[in-house]
Amino acid sequence: MKKLVVFIFFLSSFSLSFAEQRFIVPLEDSPSYGPSAAPVTIIEFIDFQ
Amino acid sequence: METFKGKIRLVIKNYPYKYRDFSYIAAEASLAAGDQGKYWEMHDLLIKRSPELDRDRLITYAKEIGLDVRVFTASLDTRKHAASIERDKKLAVDLDLYNTPTFFINGRRVIGERPYEYLKKIIEEELRSAKQ
Repeated sequence: MKKLVVFIFFLSSFSLSFAEQRFIVPLEDSPSYGPSAAPVTIIEFIDFQ
Repeated sequence: METFKGKIRLVIKNYPYKYRDFSYIAAEASLAAGDQGKYWEMHDLLIKRSPELDRDRLITYAKEIGLDVRVFTASLDTRKHAASIERDKKLAVDLDLYNTPTFFINGRRVIGERPYEYLKKIIEEELRSAKQ
């Protein structure tokens, strides 16, 4: 039983980390709009053409 | 942006890619406008006027938003911001991006044009989890 619980925990943490994959993108000195302390940061890769 | 005023920050990375004629020079133009404190005015204008982004037109746009045209043109012609644009391109390649726009919303990747509602939903989720 204990093994099963561990296995389920492993599975769920795996799928959770997969769904919640977060990339780390350095901001550097790129143009930005809005407060630096904002709870949400959106980084947009743009091609103007 | 207005809906979430004060709660979100937008950061722009340039990814002029493939063989499009004016992608690169338009990125230079946006950063040149930024040097004169008018990045966002130029950003909005470039999006509005795309794909008409050749050098002559960019200079017209610079006049339109009241930039010092001599300084702006020199910046374009010397590729003043080449290092920063190349840095962004390298970052895009390292992240294996193949499409624009690509967004990272608190690190969550969203590829391609999406309806506003879709982005709004993710932003709201992030704001909720930030409060916890």
